[in-house]
Amino acid sequence: MDAIGILNQAFVGLSRTVILFIVSSGLSLILGVLRIPNVAHGSLYMIGAFMAFTLSKLFGGGNLGFWMALIGAPCAVALISLAAERGIFQHLYEREHLMLILLTFAFSLVFGDLVKIIWGGEYKSVPVPYMFQGFVPLFGGLPFPLYNIFLLACGPIIAILLWLLVNKTKIGKIARAAAVDMEMVGAVGINVSWVFASVFVIGCSLAGLGGVLVAPTVSVTLGMDHTLIMEAFLIVIMGGLGNIWGALLGALIFGLTQSMGILVWPQFGIIFPYLAVVVVLLFRPTGLLKSTW
Amino acid sequence: MKRSILFVAFVVFVMGLAWSQPGHAADTIKVGIVDTYTGPATSFTQDTLDGFKLAVDKINAKGGVLGKKLEYTTRDEKFKPDIGLAMAKELVMKEKVDVLAGTINSGTALAVSDFAKKEKMPFFVFYSKSEKIIGEKGHKYVFNMNENTEMAGRAAAFALAKKPYVKYWIAGDDYEYGHAIAEAVWKNLQKQNPKVQKIGESWWKLGEADFTPYITQIMAAKPDFIIVATGGSGMVNFQKAAKATGLVQKIPFYQHTANELGTLLPQGKDAPEGVWGTSNYFFYYPETPANKAFADDFKKAYNRYPKASAFVGYMTAQFIAEGYKKAGKVNTEAFIKALEGMSLDSPVGPLAIRACDHQLELPTYWGITKKDPKYDFLISGDIQVIAPKDYMPTCQEVLSLRK
Repeated sequence: MDAIGILNQAFVGLSRTVILFIVSSGLSLILGVLRIPNVAHGSLYMIGAFMAFTLSKLFGGGNLGFWMALIGAPCAVALISLAAERGIFQHLYEREHLMLILLTFAFSLVFGDLVKIIWGGEYKSVPVPYMFQGFVPLFGGLPFPLYNIFLLACGPIIAILLWLLVNKTKIGKIARAAAVDMEMVGAVGINVSWVFASVFVIGCSLAGLGGVLVAPTVSVTLGMDHTLIMEAFLIVIMGGLGNIWGALLGALIFGLTQSMGILVWPQFGIIFPYLAVVVVLLFRPTGLLKSTW
Repeated sequence: MKRSILFVAFVVFVMGLAWSQPGHAADTIKVGIVDTYTGPATSFTQDTLDGFKLAVDKINAKGGVLGKKLEYTTRDEKFKPDIGLAMAKELVMKEKVDVLAGTINSGTALAVSDFAKKEKMPFFVFYSKSEKIIGEKGHKYVFNMNENTEMAGRAAAFALAKKPYVKYWIAGDDYEYGHAIAEAVWKNLQKQNPKVQKIGESWWKLGEADFTPYITQIMAAKPDFIIVATGGSGMVNFQKAAKATGLVQKIPFYQHTANELGTLLPQGKDAPEGVWGTSNYFFYYPETPANKAFADDFKKAYNRYPKASAFVGYMTAQFIAEGYKKAGKVNTEAFIKALEGMSLDSPVGPLAIRACDHQLELPTYWGITKKDPKYDFLISGDIQVIAPKDYMPTCQEVLSLRK
């Protein structure tokens, strides 16, 4: 394969990376600060996508519908996660991880059934907003969907916003401190409980945002959470638990090995990202970047 | 105190008797349905069930079967063969059903079929597409009410063999159904047109969200035609990606059920035009009064158009009813004998159950997706009817698979 093909394929892989990064950065944030391995994270991604369907339809399905979905769906997911955190998770932070995994797994089942009750079993489809329909010829004239270009633009924006949040805001600083030593932060008179709630809600909204962004490119269906949650966990583990930049690095590796793998060996393109995970964990068992655990 | 406990025990006992009564009543014929009502498959299974229900209601309104009411009860096997098998057993042992039906899941269908064989219990397979059901693992008690991968593959090959394409690419979901469909199309296409050559293959994992990297890679290889072996939500995902990347204008491709309502309805007017597909039922074709009547009835009852799976459910209930009527009694052996070779009027014309292998002889519709001002979703255009005789494996071929 020539250089043009490789370049094209890399670009396509990068747009996949964006979705993976957004979702797994949320997962990693929650893992790092709250120490909750949130298996229901994928369900919130699914709910985000279904919400995007409803909102986009409500506002006429065009450009307006898409932008409303982009704002509204993560907010809706934020509300759901706030209720879950205040209602249940806040009482369970001290529990063992195994118990938390079981609990969040139970949540993912409940959310799955709720989605079925509310939206039904039919596949849903969110149209690509008019402004991003079609494709542009990229390197060597191979077509590249406009919507993927939009995704490519979203990635850095989200990454910068997250960086600002974690490093420049008060809540980010407290959250980082709490991740290292929760008791100490509480001892200096900070209401850790609400910091945790905010971090949880922000993390979950990222899952919702991922769901909205992916919705125009796929069929929105029950079960779309399962594949994603596995990939998100692998990315987070590969990058280093709780490290947001690890999530970025992991998503990059995952997205690029996949698209490059397809180029090298299309029949078995699936295995490359997983192979990358194995190689990374063999040489760096705690992940590429520093884990907060 | 003691007395009141005795009284409560007595009440519970009487209530228990009252509840258990209908289960043993001999004035019903009971169908036990095991199917997936959780997850993405629900999109198809709900239609099967609703089609089945529509027919059952009609049959009972006309006085039932042999003076008995036709009843059914459902179990959700959650797309897991072990659960499905346990539920089938429960339906037979506890619910005392007379007939088993169900499942979109080939794994469950094969497990339940094996159980049905041992129990000598008639089993109607709704919507799982493994050719093993009537082939390798076929037996006297199993009936296949929809097409299987081999049939779909032959039908597609029959249509594709007449096209001028030479360089083919094969791509699909990396699971049994994907490989079986692709293999069936390719094997039969090679037989019917020896000039074709395969220049490459891509396989992605089931549930793959983003097809763009696969599509750009295939486009770079410049095949004449792509055989896309996706199932379930992958159908829609691939079509969306094919539209976004412009694949559909550059390289023609085929998907089994690409032109079916289940694939096109969710995409509304945004589905790509120009995708080749095969399907076994359209509510708008053939434009006969019988087909229109079924589509209207279904729409009136459930406020949506019937998909192919609804048609399967609708016909299965009727075959069960007519089978017992012809047998004249509720007896499994007589029922099976009666069904063999039985032909019924369906919305798309007469349909028969082939006596040798218990496969329903369905026409296949080859066509291409296109917009239609009458509907707010795409439909199939250029419909070419492929008759059962042109694409069904012969009795001999099927029976030679059974050892």
